[in-house]
Amino acid sequence: MGRALLIWRLALGDITRRRRQSALLVAMIAATTATLTLSLALQGVTNDPFARTRAATRGPDVSALFEPGFHGTMGTLAQFAALVRSPGVTASSGPYAVARLELIARGYRVRVHAEGRDRDRAQVDQPLLTAGHWTADGGVVIERGFAEALGVHVGDAILLNGRRFAVRGIALTTAMPISDPLIWLTRSDLLALAGGSEPLWESLNLKLSDPAAASAFADARNPPNAAWFLESWQELRADDSQTIANERQVLGIGAVLLAMIAIAGIAVLVGSRMAEQTRRIGLLKAVGGTPGLLATMLLAENLLLASAATVIGVAAGRVIAPELTAPGNSLLGSAGTAAVSAASVALAAALAFAVAIIATLLPALSGARTSTIRALNDPARPPRRHPWAIGLSSRLPAPGLLALRLIARRPRRTLLGMASLTIAVATVIATLMERHTPVLGVRVAGNILAADKQASLEHVATVLSVILVVVAAINLLFVTWATVLDARRPTALARALGATPNQVSTGLAGAQLVPGALAALFGLPAGLVVFGLTAGNPLNADPPIPLLLAVIPATLIAVAALTAIPARVGARRPVAEVLRSE
Amino acid sequence: MTEPILAGGEPILAARTLSKEYGTASALVRAVDDVSLTVNQGESVAIVGPSGCGKSTLLYLLGGLERPTAGTLALDSQPIHDMPESRLARLRRHAVGFVFQAFHLVDELTALENIELPALLAGASPSAARERARDLLEQVDLSDRAAHLPSALSGGQRQRVAIARALANRPRVVLADEPTGNLDSAATTDVLRLFDQLRTAGQTLVVVTHDSRVAATADRLISMRDGAFVDETRLTGGSARSLTEITGLEA
Amino acid sequence: MAEPNELPTPEPLQGYQLRVVQEVLLALLAGEASHGYQLRARLALALGPLAGALNDGQVYVTLSRLEKSGLVGSQRVGQAERPDRKVYSLTRQGRERVDTWLNDVSWPKPAPAEFHLKLVAAAAAGLADPVGIVDRQRRELLVGLAQAQRAALAEPPRSVAALLLEGVVLRLQADLRWLEACARYWNQARER
Repeated sequence: MGRALLIWRLALGDITRRRRQSALLVAMIAATTATLTLSLALQGVTNDPFARTRAATRGPDVSALFEPGFHGTMGTLAQFAALVRSPGVTASSGPYAVARLELIARGYRVRVHAEGRDRDRAQVDQPLLTAGHWTADGGVVIERGFAEALGVHVGDAILLNGRRFAVRGIALTTAMPISDPLIWLTRSDLLALAGGSEPLWESLNLKLSDPAAASAFADARNPPNAAWFLESWQELRADDSQTIANERQVLGIGAVLLAMIAIAGIAVLVGSRMAEQTRRIGLLKAVGGTPGLLATMLLAENLLLASAATVIGVAAGRVIAPELTAPGNSLLGSAGTAAVSAASVALAAALAFAVAIIATLLPALSGARTSTIRALNDPARPPRRHPWAIGLSSRLPAPGLLALRLIARRPRRTLLGMASLTIAVATVIATLMERHTPVLGVRVAGNILAADKQASLEHVATVLSVILVVVAAINLLFVTWATVLDARRPTALARALGATPNQVSTGLAGAQLVPGALAALFGLPAGLVVFGLTAGNPLNADPPIPLLLAVIPATLIAVAALTAIPARVGARRPVAEVLRSE
Repeated sequence: MTEPILAGGEPILAARTLSKEYGTASALVRAVDDVSLTVNQGESVAIVGPSGCGKSTLLYLLGGLERPTAGTLALDSQPIHDMPESRLARLRRHAVGFVFQAFHLVDELTALENIELPALLAGASPSAARERARDLLEQVDLSDRAAHLPSALSGGQRQRVAIARALANRPRVVLADEPTGNLDSAATTDVLRLFDQLRTAGQTLVVVTHDSRVAATADRLISMRDGAFVDETRLTGGSARSLTEITGLEA
Repeated sequence: MAEPNELPTPEPLQGYQLRVVQEVLLALLAGEASHGYQLRARLALALGPLAGALNDGQVYVTLSRLEKSGLVGSQRVGQAERPDRKVYSLTRQGRERVDTWLNDVSWPKPAPAEFHLKLVAAAAAGLADPVGIVDRQRRELLVGLAQAQRAALAEPPRSVAALLLEGVVLRLQADLRWLEACARYWNQARER
């Protein structure tokens, strides 16, 4: 009992003594767990919606469309209707009259696929209302993705073939037509609008006793010259998957990038704490603590921080996840928002604890291996010596000299900080590209869904880049702090030897600005590569060159702003205190 | 105590009723208490006293690395007690050279690079800084150690490098804080020899120490207790007694 | 300072208070027979700046005394154009004496009892402030230390005389430390 209390008190004491460091460790682990929570939640979303939408709408196993005069060959409406009596069909709905109508709303003129429906709920493919009511004469229901893309809401007025209709509802379905946006209205309204100018189409929805055999069922009834076309639910899902594939890709790449930034941050953090903790273990060993007690204390401390980080990270993930899956795509967010499952919380906690254990094990092992005397005598990691950097820096004015030597002193830390900045810059560049990719004929019928998908991608990319930039900013702040703390003695010494506070703070900030500039330069092409991975050929895009170039000075300004305060504080610390004989 | 009037050059350091307090009103520590001191050009002054007597604080005050709570201080005839930090830093470059107990060499720089650092920070050309550093390295008899890192030098060698570094900008005064505190007897002798050479060459020198051997190299010795001066002894020119008499070898 | 021994009682010397000069000369002769001036030069070298007071005649007086005691024998060696010189060598008795001396571990007594008693007496009688006495003594020793130190630093490195001077310096340093302890004690005593 006394021992547990002692460990607890030592751990708490250490945390409170190093508040800033502890807070940063929590922030970094929290960012990682938030990322993990987020990507797990999004994985669930991107895998689920078709099945969930299908279940919620009693989606068809086979959806059939009769298009007389289109393929223009064999088959009559009677033969088409007879499909419902095929062996294996257990339920059906339709045939419903279908027409292609011209819809005008909010400045768009769009050709739509309009289906005439009954007031009754269909046994198969009953679209799921997410707003308003089902069709009634004079009122239409619009497929949600299309409604979002158009920007229309329940109660808005639209024109269909010149006639005024009210939007009665917004709904989801899995039986999406291949190209055109989908609306529903009453059969009588549809017939009135179609006006016999065009032959009416008909649609059928079938449920099979063996849904797995739906593709075979459809293939067997799709002769080359038939006037109808059957599509299995697997094919429908494939169409959907195409829609969400890009998003999943963006999320996947985003999660990898975020994980990289977070790992870079934690590596810097654990690295900079390790030397100190190794020394501490040596010290406590010298006063009689057993290595086991010390490792337990360190573990208790790190686990405490990791627990706090998990809570914060999971909470942040929960807050951000709906942002990523918010309405914007007819399928992605349609079947409910991202859920943070117990499993993903457990996984996030496991990750945080893994970090805590690694952060314990490394110093514990090196502390156990290092002799007590050495641990006490060699307080810090010996800095690196790079003769080229020292030679080059001696030709620079004082701030440049200090900056370059600070960089060369801890090259790994500089590289990690630079990597995290590069990733952030690349993400911003990719997002800007995404936002400025023109969608051809966005105002032309048939492509409005592309615009919708584009908007959704942009949304995901924007949220991701915001998270990445925030995490990279935390990283940068931390790297600067670590540099300031680590360089306490050299900077105090530089001041005693004649450097002014301004020279020192410029040097400290410069130690981040130089890698920041490189990160901006590398981030630009890297961003184009990321964009290429997610959205196709950057050459097809119309890159907003001035905006992209502006990212470079913007990065530098951001880096300067973030590092200014720690650098200033670092340069104005009382010198004598650091240099006085200890 | 009264201000001693000294023959010699112009005053390099002139402190009047200097005080330095730490902490809050409830736990106020007066590290330096109403100290007045003049150090003239070419003079060598040792400040001795038990640890915690405020002598190091006084040294950092004199060098402008700490600000006094009260009193005035002139360095090279310029009042520095309220001088803006940046101006003070520029003045310090050519006015003060510091030597520390813990040497405070930059670990990743060679002996030569350490010595040229103050000159580079003061804006000297790389070649001029390098040349000066080589001269100084020769002066401290470590020319063959130019490319050695501090970790490859003995304690005494490190401190000699640090002394050379303190001289890089030809400062008006060298301030040394327990320069032999981390050295063994032989290395102490090397450092003392160097200080004696500096004194002979007319370098103004203020050294804070609790080692009477170090103190004995000075012209003037000031004893400090509880932040105040309590005694002053002139070590040169006063005694007519012979060495053998002093050491008790002669009747 | 040295332990009295069975050597012929040294007469009060005008110059050096070095009672062991006899033994030193004997030991130097143990290596090889030497002229008096050679012995004197060696002694001066070992003492460095402390040899200042070494009396010119002291070595010769001591040598003739040693010769009378039978510890040293001599031989006259003729020199062209100059008076003959004596070459001294060690007798068997002398050799024994040297061995005894080298194996002797007696050491100058370090207890500063005299000064200590002076302080106690001054305090008890209220005649003088012990702190003042200590301060005066300290100044005296510091001046001495400074002088010894300068002499030591003036010696070329690795000189044998510098080693002796370092001994002087370190002893004075130890004495000064003890004086600091005295000052602390008597200061506190005054405050009580």
